[in-house]
Amino acid sequence: MNRCLVVLSAIGLALASSVGAATANDPVAERAVAGAKQYVKDKNLKDPKLTILLSSLYNNSFPDFARRWEELTGVKFEIVPLGYTDIPAKIMQEGVSKTGVYDIFNDFPYTMPDAVGAKVIIPLDPYVAKYKPDFSGIADGLLYQQNYDGKLYTLVNDGDHLIMALRKDLVENPQARAEYRAKFGKDLGCPDTLAEWEQQAAFFQTKEGETRWGIKFEKPLYGALGYRSINFSYRHFPAYMEGLLFDRDMKPRINSPQGVSAIKAFASIVQYMPKDIQGWGTPQIYPFWGSGQAYSAMSFPSIIGFGESNPQSTVKGKQLACLIPGKMVNGQLVRRSPQAAGTGYMVSAYSKNPELAYLFIQWLTSPSVGDEAVAHPKGFWDPYRASNLTNKAILDRFGADFVKTTLENSKYAASLLLIEGNYEYFKVLDNNLADVMNGNISAEEAARRIETGWNKVTADVGRENQVRIWRKGVESGIYLDKF
Amino acid sequence: MVEITTRGADLVVRDTPKRGGVLPRLAAWLAQERVFRLIPFILVEGMFILVIFIPFLLTVYISLLRWRANRPFETASFTGLDNYYSVIGNDQFWLAVGRSFYFGGVAVALELLIGFVLAMLVSQTTRFKRLYTTVFLVPMMIVPVVVGYNFSMIYVDSGPLNQLLAPLFSLFGMDPRVRWLSHPVAAQWGIILADVWQWTSLTFLIFLSGFSALPPQLVNAARVMGASPWQIFWRVQFPLLKPAIVIAVVIRSMEALKLFDPVVLLTFGGPGTSTQTVAYFLWEQVWVFNKFSFGAAASILLLLIFGVLIYAGIYLLVRQRAIVEGRGA
Repeated sequence: MNRCLVVLSAIGLALASSVGAATANDPVAERAVAGAKQYVKDKNLKDPKLTILLSSLYNNSFPDFARRWEELTGVKFEIVPLGYTDIPAKIMQEGVSKTGVYDIFNDFPYTMPDAVGAKVIIPLDPYVAKYKPDFSGIADGLLYQQNYDGKLYTLVNDGDHLIMALRKDLVENPQARAEYRAKFGKDLGCPDTLAEWEQQAAFFQTKEGETRWGIKFEKPLYGALGYRSINFSYRHFPAYMEGLLFDRDMKPRINSPQGVSAIKAFASIVQYMPKDIQGWGTPQIYPFWGSGQAYSAMSFPSIIGFGESNPQSTVKGKQLACLIPGKMVNGQLVRRSPQAAGTGYMVSAYSKNPELAYLFIQWLTSPSVGDEAVAHPKGFWDPYRASNLTNKAILDRFGADFVKTTLENSKYAASLLLIEGNYEYFKVLDNNLADVMNGNISAEEAARRIETGWNKVTADVGRENQVRIWRKGVESGIYLDKF
Repeated sequence: MVEITTRGADLVVRDTPKRGGVLPRLAAWLAQERVFRLIPFILVEGMFILVIFIPFLLTVYISLLRWRANRPFETASFTGLDNYYSVIGNDQFWLAVGRSFYFGGVAVALELLIGFVLAMLVSQTTRFKRLYTTVFLVPMMIVPVVVGYNFSMIYVDSGPLNQLLAPLFSLFGMDPRVRWLSHPVAAQWGIILADVWQWTSLTFLIFLSGFSALPPQLVNAARVMGASPWQIFWRVQFPLLKPAIVIAVVIRSMEALKLFDPVVLLTFGGPGTSTQTVAYFLWEQVWVFNKFSFGAAASILLLLIFGVLIYAGIYLLVRQRAIVEGRGA
């Protein structure tokens, strides 16, 4: 028992010291700490406190940083955890009730447009000018996603852009390689295109009890895994779409040969996925991948970490991280890795100490502390900036190959739709994609319905403003594609 | 000092007021019989106004505005009945209403049938009656979130339900891996079954109390007169149980039409919109899409639709009670 206590204490101390070392030689973090101390002194705050509405995914990691912040600045933290699906509604409620109970909101950047419209979050540009955070080494698609309507509203500390994971043991299996080469005239490996991914998925699809390439499959091997359920399909679809979802005047581009082709490809690969994939989210997909019953997965990057660290995983050391497959457009390979989630931090318009709230966010997302967060064993922050490549703790946690791949992949990271009412646009897309996957309607019919649905949302939210914001977003580079 | 006086038939007990103080005078005023007996009424009415009437008026007011919560409330403008026209012209709203009636109708019918049979069996058993009663009531006491989570595990395509059904399906050459949560029709039944599992307990409880309240003399008399068990059930017991049946139908229908928890926990309304009930539709319009005015108008319309049904249910209940008590036709 005593030995256990000693070991636990040692682990605790090691964790605390690793977080504690965070601000050393990082002027961005040091400026934030000094600024916070000065702010508390100038305002003569007694018992200063910040309250954060936190995604409950971070409940086991964020408190370590909150404690460290308190040690450094004397500013306490009250953490209000909430499931990520409920956070947008909570933020919008605050826009109506204006209670001022929250200083910081933690959520995906996609909540930003509605929150800005409701004036519940504030632009951080004045504080950025004053305290000078460091955004170096962050790929354009992720960097620009911090802005909306030309102003900076959120600081992101997470690269949740989609990657492709393959079963390395199967890719390297000599018999499988030979058979694949004989059949397709190409070596097995990371697929360059989505069509090639489907080809590989079909090749590896194996029935229960079959013996192939010297392996007896006691359970069926599915060729592919991907997110195809409500609330997830829209996060993956942009990988299939050639170019932007709308034209310059916000006329949907989905009802076009490219759009229909994207819908067909999105639905087609489902035949190589588990039958009830349309009901699956991360709690089902990650364990299934870990069980070794799939050859490939297009997923959030943390699936690789899950496969390596989960005690019940059977794919440890058997995973190959790949760049997101793309599409051939005018003879050129174009990859788009949708930033499918990504955790960011926004300051409430009703905070009593917005500057203090900002300073914490700058500290948390600074190069040194941000890296510590990504390396945190219980955190869900994924690698996203160049400094991650040389951070030993991050490399130890994720593996050098994966970090290198996901950072390379971040060059193709593109934002999901970042305009007001985006959750309604997403839902229109999800519903119709589901109908195509279920065989209820054709891809052409779905494209027509999505176009009609999106036009309705645009009219309801206000076309003029939507067009203005859309153009501004495209021109800023958040979607990578241009008009 | 307490003063007791009589005035007519009323007995008045009151503190003797002390001169000059406001509070004592207020206390004395409140203690007067004509005022005192109004206090509960005023409290109830006050609560009604605060909790129901003001929010209702607010909902009506919001339904007449053009307002999405992604704009400050100060920017809302009056649009008359536009939101009502939008709701009436919205296919998804009517499909969700239809689905709610379908889910509610099937679920309540199954709950009534199973609850009735279980209650009948338990009421006739002589051993372990309390144990059976307790066991059958357990599902109702479980938090809906837990029920939803458990069913999501049960419904996985390689999960226990499919394993249980596999031998049966294979007899007919059918695919034993039913996509309980991702096939449009199977997902609807998945939600209905989860609701039936949890809420049959309530109908069971209502019917069990109904069976317990049946006067044994009538059954005994019928038996002495040579009635068969079927005749006793159909001619004696069943008519007397009609009020309990109506209560079960009204209570469960009202709840089933608001079906929300299993939809959110199991399917999020999907695949597509195949399991989207009207409660889920409203929640999504308001809390996900921020369409507060649209949601308010839809709520008012729904209140009207459900109000008619609830009125019909209550009318049936009163009528059945009157029949049983021999006051009506």
